[in-house]
Amino acid sequence: MNKKYAMAYVVDRCIDCKACMVACKAEWEVPEDHFRTHIDQGMKEDFHGKTRMDFLPSQCNHCDDAPCVTVCPTKASHKRDDGIVYVNRNRCVGCKYCIPSCPYEARFFNHDLGVAEKCTFCLPRLAEGLEPACATTCPGNVRVFGDINDPTSEISMVLREAKNNRLKIYKLREDLGTKPNIYYIQN
Amino acid sequence: MIKTGLSRRRFLQATTASVALLGLSSLQVKASEEEKSAPVGEYYTQNLCEMCFWKCGLVAKTVNGKVHKLEGQKHCPSNFGKLCAKGNSGVFQLYDTDRVKFPMIRTGERGSGEFRKATWEEAVAYIAEKSISIRDKFGPESFSLFAHGSGEHSFMNLMEVIGSPNIVIPAFSQCTGSRDVAWVATYGKPVGGKEPVDSDNTKCMMLIGRNAAEALHVGEVQEFVSGLSKGAELIYADVRFSKTAAKANQFMMIRPGSDTALVLGMINYVIQNNLYDASFVDSYTTGFDKLAKHSSQYSLEWVELETGISESAVVKACESLAKAAPHCYIHPGRRLSRYGNDVQLVRAIAILNALFGNWDMPGGFYTPVGANIKKPHMVEIEHHASHERADGAGIKYPMAPKNLGLANKMIEAIANQDPYPVKGMFIYGTNLFHHKADSSIVKKAITASELVVTCDIYMTDTAYYSDVILPESTYLERYDPAIVTSRKSGYVQFREPAIDPVHDTKGGWEIAELISKAMGYENEFKTIKEFNSLLFEAAGTNEEYMKTNGCYVKEAGEPFPRATGKKPRFYTPSGKVELVSSKIADLGYDELPTYTGVPRPADDEFRFLFGRTSYHTHARSQNNSWLLALHKHEVPIWINAERAEKLGIKDGDIVKVTNGKNMSGELVAKVDNLIHPEAIFTPQGFGHESTGLPRMRGKGARTSDFCSNDTDPISGGVGLHNGFVQIVKV
Repeated sequence: MNKKYAMAYVVDRCIDCKACMVACKAEWEVPEDHFRTHIDQGMKEDFHGKTRMDFLPSQCNHCDDAPCVTVCPTKASHKRDDGIVYVNRNRCVGCKYCIPSCPYEARFFNHDLGVAEKCTFCLPRLAEGLEPACATTCPGNVRVFGDINDPTSEISMVLREAKNNRLKIYKLREDLGTKPNIYYIQN
Repeated sequence: MIKTGLSRRRFLQATTASVALLGLSSLQVKASEEEKSAPVGEYYTQNLCEMCFWKCGLVAKTVNGKVHKLEGQKHCPSNFGKLCAKGNSGVFQLYDTDRVKFPMIRTGERGSGEFRKATWEEAVAYIAEKSISIRDKFGPESFSLFAHGSGEHSFMNLMEVIGSPNIVIPAFSQCTGSRDVAWVATYGKPVGGKEPVDSDNTKCMMLIGRNAAEALHVGEVQEFVSGLSKGAELIYADVRFSKTAAKANQFMMIRPGSDTALVLGMINYVIQNNLYDASFVDSYTTGFDKLAKHSSQYSLEWVELETGISESAVVKACESLAKAAPHCYIHPGRRLSRYGNDVQLVRAIAILNALFGNWDMPGGFYTPVGANIKKPHMVEIEHHASHERADGAGIKYPMAPKNLGLANKMIEAIANQDPYPVKGMFIYGTNLFHHKADSSIVKKAITASELVVTCDIYMTDTAYYSDVILPESTYLERYDPAIVTSRKSGYVQFREPAIDPVHDTKGGWEIAELISKAMGYENEFKTIKEFNSLLFEAAGTNEEYMKTNGCYVKEAGEPFPRATGKKPRFYTPSGKVELVSSKIADLGYDELPTYTGVPRPADDEFRFLFGRTSYHTHARSQNNSWLLALHKHEVPIWINAERAEKLGIKDGDIVKVTNGKNMSGELVAKVDNLIHPEAIFTPQGFGHESTGLPRMRGKGARTSDFCSNDTDPISGGVGLHNGFVQIVKV
């Protein structure tokens, strides 16, 4: 079976330290003031009227039915066999259609290179046997990366364990039919 | 909180092979550098992070001569493979075009920002000539040093060679001093820079104003998150709903300055309801009966009145801790330079911990495992300073250690040239204008000095007012003597340069030696290589191992000796945990912690509070674009919604703070109900004056301009949180 790369966030472990954002920036020389991943902060009141603050990491969801791939006129944006949605910079003409098409706001325009840019799950690092930079650096061990087609991978085990423990497992905007591959695990 | 283990990764097993390759590629590139050809290829070097002071072990990856990426050393007990945002941004700092690139000598008035470029020979000769003249006229004691960072010992040794006692590590009076004095009084030893709280195994932890999630020391926060994920309960009292509060099971918004009242009330409740560990109290403490009698005055009704925390909430906290005891702790805090009565607050915290019998126990306090390594000296110094210190450390303030000094009092001693002339000021890696309350005193001290020398990597506000600026190589460009660290195991950490210096800079040790020689001293400085060889041999390792692994972990010791039946030893006068402190009684202060209220702001004023965010360190990192991008170059100020509404301030408005004397730069109002109405909060380290830090110059508040300059009478440490300000809309 093909590999299918995915990431799970054990959300309650996140402290919004933003190490992931800077590690990614360093690894890929992401242009100033842009990031390929970020953390949203949510505030709400719980059932007891107490303040709750949540931190929700976010990045490209490497969708199985990715709008950015659909709208790309040059096939620069494509879905690889290993599940990664990738932008071929040689084919990208910088038309920017993909940027507003993404419901996760995961893309931005790299003005230096004239191409659309986003998370690649650190594809070149994977080739070296390394995890994505964000997962490697995360002090809270929030991010679990791996092949969900391999039942012995850490991500598969974490998702199984979360299910057995009846934790909440969800993905963002599944209603849109994009079939995203970032799993959120929350108590 | 998540209750599953969801523990760690196996993915990286594949990387062991690539680590083994590092040594080889490293050698190859080093060889080509000697031939001065453009370096090609990749190599990895070992280091320890200098972006804050936790000293995380890291590996630097260099590609074609440029440092590309920093990653944590997997086995280093400081950080187990992780780096925070600050750590990751070290690459930006290395190549920041605003670094000081060559030695500079002042040409205009102090503070004019007018300097000329100088060679190292010129700069060192200038310093040596002035220093000799100061020494001959005023004596060797007329030099002061303010130092912070892993290279601080270089200039400390220089001061010792000269023979001045006036070496100051501001981390005492401006940060942990009051805390450590309280711990010495109670337990016979300081808490230490790597707080030995066992968050990993704890069942319940209580933090009082200790914003662990945002103060962000990687090793500390790893254990904190790990403990929570295993189901530990977190009780958190603070004036602000910080990111630590986001993780709390019980958050208590406390009125600023009333922490001691809360803890005294808890002590009383725990004693009255027999929730304490009677066996520990009997065996290992003194003064319990006196404590019980003393604390009985602190009822929960009174606590509620003082702190604003309901009786039921305090009861709940006490019960949770007691249920978890001895696998629980109340955090001693870190920066205890708050209200000028901080020793007594931490005394109360120390006592409450003792009542739960958590000493040397899993989930409570552990005993750091030393590496038992006899460390060599970089410089042999035969003569020691004969004069008393100018700042009163160890004299007027007997519990302030003479080897750390009191930065607040030293600056005042220099400003007033009292008790004796102190004319030569050296500054290494620290920034007086940002850590000393009331910058006008810093200016006065600089004016009173005949020579001001700053060694730093940036043109800080303090460098800006200096006569000579000595640009240091960053941690990624220099060797430093290896260090020994103690946590649950003892370990050695190694620093080697990733690349040659980008600019005309030198490491602190080289600079200190140059000045020492130029002043005519004959003391021999070891090379760092010589020092390291001796240290590695004493530790049972060698350079080759350190170059490959970066960190040598000695066999694990025993962090929880009581859990295996060993009796703890306390180096107090009585040999026991002193609930009633004889040391503090001897000084003429309250032997049991009492509560003295703090001054309250007027109706139109706010208490000015500051602290850390997860992604900046002190006043050091605010020119780093990678970090600034995380908060869109904006400096927030937290304001309570009701108070803001009365002032017509809405969320996102641009405001300034003023205390009548100083006016801050622009701040962005963060208006909500997450902060106590009496206080405002802004992150430390902004509002720079120096033109050498252009990215955030004048933006935000230089916190030292608005805080109080109180003194804790027992430790001599500063109290910074009694400053009051008004907010004006721009």
